[in-house]
This record gives sequence, C-alpha cells and structure tokens, in this order.
Amino acid sequence: MRVTGWSGCLAATGLLLAGCAGGPGGGGGKISDDKVVLAVLNDQSGIYSATSGKETIEAVRMAVADYQAKYGDKVAAKEIVVMAADHQNKPEIANSKAQELYDRQQADVILDVPTSSAALAVATVAKNKKKVFIDVGAASTELEGKSCNKYTFHYSYNSYMLAHGTGTEVTKDGAKNWYIVYPDYAFGQDMEKTFSAAIKAAGGTVIQSDPTPFPNDNFATFLLKASNLDPKPQVLGTMQAGGDLVNLVKQYNEYKLRDKGVGLAIGLLALSDIHSLGPDALAGTRYTDSWYWNTDDKSRAWADKFQAKTGKRPTANQAGNYSAALQYLEAVQRGGTDASDEVVKQLEGYKFEDMFARNGTVRAQDHLLLHDAYLAEVKPAGEVKEPYDYVKILKTIPAAEAFQPQPDPACKL
Amino acid sequence: MIMSRLARAGRGGPLLLALGLFAALVLPWMIYPPVALDIACWALFAAAVDLLLGFTGLLSFGHAAFWGGSAYCTGLIALHTGLPFPVAIVGGAAFAALLALPIGFLSVRLSGIYFAMVTLAFAQMTYFVANQWRDVTGGENGLQGIPRELFGLDLSDSFSFYYAGLPFVLVGLFVAWRIVRSPFGRVLVSIRANPDRARALGYPVDRYRLLAFVLSAALSGMAGGVFAMGHGFASLEGVYWTTSGQAVMMVILGGIGTLWGGAIGAALVVQLQDFLATAGFAETGIITGSIFIVVVLLFRRGIWGTARHLLASRRKAAAPGEVAAEPRKSVDTPA
Repeated sequence: MRVTGWSGCLAATGLLLAGCAGGPGGGGGKISDDKVVLAVLNDQSGIYSATSGKETIEAVRMAVADYQAKYGDKVAAKEIVVMAADHQNKPEIANSKAQELYDRQQADVILDVPTSSAALAVATVAKNKKKVFIDVGAASTELEGKSCNKYTFHYSYNSYMLAHGTGTEVTKDGAKNWYIVYPDYAFGQDMEKTFSAAIKAAGGTVIQSDPTPFPNDNFATFLLKASNLDPKPQVLGTMQAGGDLVNLVKQYNEYKLRDKGVGLAIGLLALSDIHSLGPDALAGTRYTDSWYWNTDDKSRAWADKFQAKTGKRPTANQAGNYSAALQYLEAVQRGGTDASDEVVKQLEGYKFEDMFARNGTVRAQDHLLLHDAYLAEVKPAGEVKEPYDYVKILKTIPAAEAFQPQPDPACKL
Repeated sequence: MIMSRLARAGRGGPLLLALGLFAALVLPWMIYPPVALDIACWALFAAAVDLLLGFTGLLSFGHAAFWGGSAYCTGLIALHTGLPFPVAIVGGAAFAALLALPIGFLSVRLSGIYFAMVTLAFAQMTYFVANQWRDVTGGENGLQGIPRELFGLDLSDSFSFYYAGLPFVLVGLFVAWRIVRSPFGRVLVSIRANPDRARALGYPVDRYRLLAFVLSAALSGMAGGVFAMGHGFASLEGVYWTTSGQAVMMVILGGIGTLWGGAIGAALVVQLQDFLATAGFAETGIITGSIFIVVVLLFRRGIWGTARHLLASRRKAAAPGEVAAEPRKSVDTPA
C-alpha cells in the first residue's frame, strides 16, 4: 500500500514538473483560434438584470449580424462566438469569471460588467491578461481614472455624466435647494460627491445629504425629513438604484412629496425601472440618459429590431453593448486581427457615429468614450402613446460637455 | 474495489492519505486550476471549522472574520511591502490568530446557540469595520491586484500558483490532523463530550476552548490568505456571514468530526457552484440547499462520515476478531 502511495506521489510530481514547463500558448495567427469570442459578463438574475441582463446578449448578437451583413465576404473575423456569464454583482465572482472567460473560453473581449466594484475587478484581470475589456454597465469614473489601463475602455455613461447632466441642469432650471439621499456604499458615495460638486458649481445648495442603509426597504425617515427641512428643499435627489429605487419612489408617492413641493431627481434611472414602476409613479422626474430608444429614426429602427427579438424596448445599456460590440468588431476589421494591442490601437482616438453613440470619440488618453447624452423627463401616463414611450428628451448635452472635459491626471495607461 | 480492499485491509489510513495527496496534486489537471485552488483553500477552511465544531463542540458562525480578515491582511502586506507571498500568508494567519484572541476570550464561556450568535456578531462587526474603513480595505471595491511575489518567480499563471499555494493548505491540514491526534486534541474531545466532567478532572475548559478557537482561526486565516493570493483579490465577500455559513455547510456535508470530510464538502460545493454558474443557472442556492437537506436527512454523519461508518460496519462483519480493538479507536479520530 505504501508503495502504491509513493509511486502515486512520484507520478504526480512528474506531472507537476511537466506542467511547469508548458504554459498557455500565444496565438501567432491574425485571428486567435480562428474565431473572435465576445463575452458578456453581467448580472443575469439580480438587481441589474433588467437594465442589461440576458437581453444584452441578444443586442451583442445583433451587432455581430450587422457586422457580418456589412462586410459580407470581406469579414476579417470569419467565425464569431457570443457567450455570457453571470457575475451576480460580486467583485470576487467577476474576478474569477473574467479570468475564466479569457483563459478557458478564449474570450477576446469582455463586455458590459455593471456594478463598479465588479468592473474594477475585471479591469485588473484585463490588464494582467492583456485582453480587451469594454465596460458599458458601470458608473465609476475610476475606470478612466486611477484604475485605468491600456486594455480597458469605458463606454456609455459614468457618474460624472449623470451628476453633471441631472445636477447641473435641474439646478439651472431653478431648483436651487437639494436634499440628497444615497445608499451607503461605493457607488452611492461617489454619486453623492459628484452630484454635490455639480450642484454647487451650478449655483445651488445641498441642504443636507444622508446615507441610507443598503439594501433598504423603508425610507420613511428620510422622506418625512425631506419636507421638514429648513429651508425646504425643492428637489429630492436620490442615488438609489434597482430595487431600492423602486421602494423609495413608491414611498415618495405615498407621502405625496411632489404635492408638497419637493420634486424628484434620480441619479441613475433606466427605462426598465420606469417600466416596472409605471410612468405615473415617476411623472416629472428628471434624469440623464446616455441613449433613449425613441430619440430619432435611427435609434427607433434599431429598437424595433430589438423588440422583434426580445419583446421589449432596449435600455440605454443594452444599446450601449450593441455599439461596443460593433465598434470592437469594426476595430478588428480595420486592424485585420483580434490581437489586443492592435485592437486597442485601432480604438484609441477613433471618431465615429452609430445608432447609439452620436459624435462619438474614444479619448486616447483615458479610453473614455465621449458622446452626446440626454436630459430626460418622465411623461405622465396620459402622454404615453405606446408601451415603453415613457420619456421626453428635454435637451441634448453635447459630447464635449457631457463627460469630464479633461482626462484624469491619475490615469496612466 | 478500493473500498472493499480498504475494508479488508482494516487500516486504510496510509492508502487513503496517499489517495488524498494524489488527488490534491492532480486536481488542476482535472479541473480548471483556479477552481482547484478554491477547493484546496475551502478544504483547509472547513477542516479548521471542523476542529472547533467536530472536536471541541463549538459551532462558530463567525469564522468569516478570520478568513476574510486574513485575506485583507495578506493582501495589504503583499501590496504595501512587496514581501514574498509566503510571508504575507503567514502574516495573515498570525493576524487571524490575534483577532481570535479577544473574540475567543469573550465567546468561549458560552456554548451552543449562544456561542454561534456571539461569534456571528463579532464577524458582522468585522464586516462593518472592513466596509467602513475604505482607505485600508477599499470598501466595496476590495483590495485589487494583489501581487504574487516570490523572488522573481513568475507565478501569474494560476496553474503554477496552485502548486505554490498547495503546500500551505497541506501544512495546515497536517497541523489540524496533528492537533486532533495529540493529547491536547483528546482533551478537546472530552470537553465536547462533557465539559463538566472535564472541568472536574482538572482541565481548564475555557482555556482549552480558547486555544482551540485561536488555532482554528489561524488555520482559517491561512486558508483565507492563500485564497486572497490565488485571486489577487480580497473583498467584503470574504468577511460576510455567508462565508462562515458556507464553511459550516461544507463541514456538515462532508461529516462533522471527520476533518477530511470538510475537504469532500468543499470539493462538492465549489465544483457545484462553478458548474451551475457556468451552466447559467442562477439560483445556485436552491440546488446546494436541496443537497444539504438530503444529506442532513439521509446521511446524518455526512458523506465521509457515512462512508467511514459503512466501512467500519462491513469490517466488523468481515473480521469479527478485530471488533474488540475497534472501540478503542474512537470515531473522532480521522483516518
């Protein structure tokens, strides 16, 4: 028995040594493994599954189809695979799933990744593995700030865009006094800071800002406080997202704060949130969006195709993922390879316009996509003409103003 | 076949040990290496929890504090000092032991559900400290990009790091095994069986429990340190109560008081989670929960405990001569 054991150990040691000699092989060809693998890593069951989730995979497939249709026989990437994984909004899972996608599934690019902590985890993996990562779903400006790296791009929106859209515009419109409530974790704190800065810069005052537990289902304390503050706030700014936002808005309506003269501004609001709350619950609420399906013919045409496939109208994140996938494939086409360095080179500084990104530029210094954003207001139910037609666009915020005017000096690519 | 040979052999210890070692060595060839490392870390963590649960009779619901606390400490050492990773891991384990001293001191006087609740409370305190102390722990974002430095060796590949991390796990398991086989371990078992009698015999029960608690925490810390190194990452998830719960679940699945059972529980749970997540099945909890219920209802001794029990009863039937010797070998001694 002992002999069996030792020989087993020896055999294993032999295997071990053999294993150390070999490593992951680098692809020499133009398209690694003869295929381009696009991986969507996002929340498929939790609080952000409605804003991107499974429909995002469909959006990415649509990008692949459009790319293939556009180039026909001349496509650089003959075979394109779309796959998906669920990170449950946990950085730990995002970290191991990203490694797995790059290693085990030969993913060439990871897309989406909502939840800032998860996105930062994937950015680190992308940097170590030297593989492309285009984040669409996360808000943190750290992605193009101190955590930026050569292989990470930030698409669609960020907390600066949300704060400077909503905070600045609503203040300029006359709502000078704000009361802010924010969930007490990284995203909420970041949003509170950027919003306060934007409001002050626009000449407004933040009377008070209160952290709330996260997650939380009872906001009564904060809502009662809102109407009793002195001076009375004209607007309640909430940085809650997902399920918490739904609870807060319902309670805001129960307390009839709007009738008491306290308006509502929301830090991060997605079409899917309006859909689940119903437009009446949110009527008159202002927020900033990176895209809206019913803005013009181009976006509407795409939204029709999307609806035919999924039965829903697309959220801004879903459209953003379509655009990110499409622009990635276009970069592969221009460079003729899916080698990460070449794709990065093709994307840096690239100016383009598509269904999602208007006046789009991928800023070379920090890999942030600059594009037009929109100040939106939720319509009352009476004005809604068709399902999902919940929003009117008040103003287009030009690309140059929508995002940070200068790259963060902390970013060293 | 192995089973029947074992049954006939009477003492399957060395063979089982060799089999276990072999399994540990070939694991990253069979499955995806990072998952293999996760299994190894959780196996040590489960063994550490079992040391307390199975051999001292204390159900701790707060071991996440030690696993996660050590993960942060290991990460901070590696990030800020650039010392080789083994130093960081040992430092993390030492930190876990230090953290366990006051927690253990205050909680070992209690037992049963009260002990579980108090340890849970301390672990939650640790969680909130880690969450609020953002400058150090990174809060929500955690500590990212923890380097694996070892005298210039390239360990960035998860396959090679498995073999760098495995020795810590094996040493930890060996220490746990030595502890339960030592006279100290026998005293722990007697305390578990009857604390009053142990006290009457002159053993300072609380001090023994405290020492067991600290040792268990140090081993959990070591596991957490290797885990943090393996992922290059320490996050709030590590200090959250679900982590404590998962370790306890692994011990119960594998078999309480078997030490190695935890490894089987760990392999089962980690593999299952990986499989379900890869298959795109969202409600992992339903499946693991159902398995847990089935095991608790049908195999009270856990998987390993049941297997060992079956072997022992077969052995009795096959060789009645050995029965007399059997009772001396207590069920609490792992194979």
